[in-house]
Amino acid sequence: MNILIIEDEEGLRESIEEYFSEAGNICETASDYQSAMAKINLYSYDCILLDITLPGGNGINILKKLKEKNHPDGVLIISAKNSLDDRIEGLNLGADDYLVKPFHLSELKARVTAIIRRKTFNGSNLLVFNEIAIDLLAKEVKVDNTLVKLTRKEYALLIYFIANKGKVISKNAIAEHLWGDGIDMANNFDFIYSHIKNIRKKLVEAGCHDYIQAAYGMGYKFAEQ
Amino acid sequence: MKLLARYNRVNLVTTIVVMFITGIIYYQAISFILTSQKDKDLKVEEMEVFDYVKQNHTLPQTFQSDDQQITFSEAKPGSVKREFIDTRYLEKVDKDDDDEKPSQKLLPRYESGRGLISSVTVGGKYYKILIVESKVETEYLIRMIFFITIGVILLLLIILIITNRLILSRLWSPFYGLMNQLRTFNITDAQDIAKTETNIDEFRELNEAVAGMASKAKHDYKDLKTFTENASHELLTPIAVINSKLDTLIQTQNFSERQSKLLNDLYSAVSRLNRLNQSLLLLVKIENRLLHERQMINLRTIIEDMIVQFEEIFLDKRLTVTCNLADKEINASQYLVEILLSNLIGNATRHNHPDGKIFIALTGKSLMIKNTGESVPLPEEKIFTRFHKSLTSEGSGLGLTISRQICENFGFSLNYTFGAGYHTFTIDF
Repeated sequence: MNILIIEDEEGLRESIEEYFSEAGNICETASDYQSAMAKINLYSYDCILLDITLPGGNGINILKKLKEKNHPDGVLIISAKNSLDDRIEGLNLGADDYLVKPFHLSELKARVTAIIRRKTFNGSNLLVFNEIAIDLLAKEVKVDNTLVKLTRKEYALLIYFIANKGKVISKNAIAEHLWGDGIDMANNFDFIYSHIKNIRKKLVEAGCHDYIQAAYGMGYKFAEQ
Repeated sequence: MKLLARYNRVNLVTTIVVMFITGIIYYQAISFILTSQKDKDLKVEEMEVFDYVKQNHTLPQTFQSDDQQITFSEAKPGSVKREFIDTRYLEKVDKDDDDEKPSQKLLPRYESGRGLISSVTVGGKYYKILIVESKVETEYLIRMIFFITIGVILLLLIILIITNRLILSRLWSPFYGLMNQLRTFNITDAQDIAKTETNIDEFRELNEAVAGMASKAKHDYKDLKTFTENASHELLTPIAVINSKLDTLIQTQNFSERQSKLLNDLYSAVSRLNRLNQSLLLLVKIENRLLHERQMINLRTIIEDMIVQFEEIFLDKRLTVTCNLADKEINASQYLVEILLSNLIGNATRHNHPDGKIFIALTGKSLMIKNTGESVPLPEEKIFTRFHKSLTSEGSGLGLTISRQICENFGFSLNYTFGAGYHTFTIDF
C-alpha cells in the first residue's frame, strides 16, 4: 500500500505512520497544506488520510483539487469536527470515508484497507487469507470451501482482524468497532471474550488454523503462528 | 391585579365620591335658594294680611289658591312665636276639576310645604296665622337635579369603561407585546427582542432596556458556548494522540500482567474522557440547534435494531429484555434519536443488577423504559442536571441531560418515576 498521511499533529502522524509501516507499505507524510499539495501533485497514492484543519489551508480544498484533477487516490478524512454537515460535505466532494478523532489505529487501518480493496480489486469481492476466503458481496466465509456460518458481528470482527493482522487490537477498539458508541453501557468488556471464543470455535471446527491469540489480557491479535 | 383595573377602580371610586359630594352641595344650595324664595313669598303674604288687618280691622277672608293656604286660629296672647316651618301642605281636591277622577275625590293629597307661623291682633283678639305654600315645584326641581346628577355619573361610568377598553388597552399594547416577547424569549434562539412601535417614552425606554439586556445575555451565552465548544475541540487532538500512542504501545512486545492492567486502566480512562468530551460537544450542538436534519423515522425499528445490537451486553449481565412495541413514526433527527435511545437503554442496562429486567413499551403516545436496579428512587429533580451521577456510575453524568435536551428539541417530555422496584423513564410525544 502506498499511503499519504496529511496531519499536522506530530504525535498522531507518527503513530499512524508507525502503525501502517510494515512490509509492502510505503507511508509518506505531510504536515501542512503546502507540502500536502506538493506531494499530491507529484505522486499518486492508494489512499490519502486527510485532516481537515491544517496550517496554511483547509483540507477540503485539497480534496477539491484532487477531484478536479481526477486523481484516483482514495481519500479518508480524519477530522475533529463531528458535525454531520462536514461529513456530508466531505463525502459529497468525493471522499471515500470519514473518521472522527479520536479513533483507534486499528479502526483507521480497517477503513483504509476497505477503501484500498474497493479501489484496487475492482470487481473482485473476494478477500483471501490463507485458507480463509471471504465473499464480501455475499458476506460469506469459507474455510477450504467449507461454509462457516457467522453472525453479523462475528463476520465484522473477522474482517476487522484480517485488516489488522499481526497487530494487537485492544478490547476497547473491538468493542467500539462492533457496538459503536453504545458500548459505554457495558460495565466491562468481559463479554468480548465469549464472543471471540465463539468465532474461534467456528473457524477451528471448519478446519481453520487458530489465528486469534489473546494478548496479555489487553486485547487480541490475529496472526499466523 | 392589573394596573389598568387598579387605576380604574381608584378612578371610579373618586369620581363617584366627588359626584356624590357635588350632588349634595348642589342639592343643599338649590334647596336653600328655593326655600328662601318661598320664605320671601310667605313674608309678602304675611304683609298683605297685616295690611288688610290695618285697613279693615278684620281678618281677611281665608282664600285658597293653587299653592297657598292661610288659616287663622285664636290663640292665647303672646303664645305664638314667629317662625318658618317645614310642614305638610294639604291639597284640597277641587270637585269640579276632579269629575273625571272619582277615585281621588275623597282623598286629600298631602304635599310637602313651607309654612310661616305669625300672629295678629284684631279687635283685641289674638290670632295665630299659618301660611302654607306647597313645595311641590321645588321638590320636582330637586328631583330633576338628582336624576341629572345620577345620569351624569352613569354616563361618566360608561365613558370610562369605553375609554379603558378602547384607548387604554391600545395604549398598553406595546407593554403587552413586550411581555409576550419576554415570555417566549429563549437564550438559545437566534431571534432578538423586536422593536415595538410606540411614541410613549416609558415603553420605548423599557423596550430598549429589555432588548439591550436580551442581546447581552445572548452574547454572554454565546461566548460561553463558544468556549465550551473550542475547549472540547482542542481536547480532541490530545485525546486522539493518547489513544493512538496507546494503540502503538501495545504493539510492542512482552507485557507483564501488571503492565497490562495499567494499560487497560489507561484505555478505559481515555475512553471515558473521550465520551465526556463528545457529550459536551453534543450538548452544545443540540443547544445550538445545529442538528436539524429531520426525517420521518420509525421508533420501533430503531429500538428493535438497538436491542439486537446490544444483545451480547444484555446476555453478559443475564438481563431479560421484554419489548412491547407498536409502530410509531416521529419526525426527528435519526442521529439524535439514536443517542437518546442508546442513553436510556444504556442506563437501564448499566444501572441494572445481574439477572435484572428491562421492559420497553412503545405506544402511539409514549415510550416507557422500565428497569430493575437499586431499590431506592433517584432524586428526580437532580438526575437531569449536568454532571449529576450516582456514586457507582462510570458514565459522563451528561447522559440524562442530553436525553432531556433532545426530547425538548423535538417537543417531547422526559420524566422519571419509581415504583414497585422499577425505575421508569417515560417520553411523552
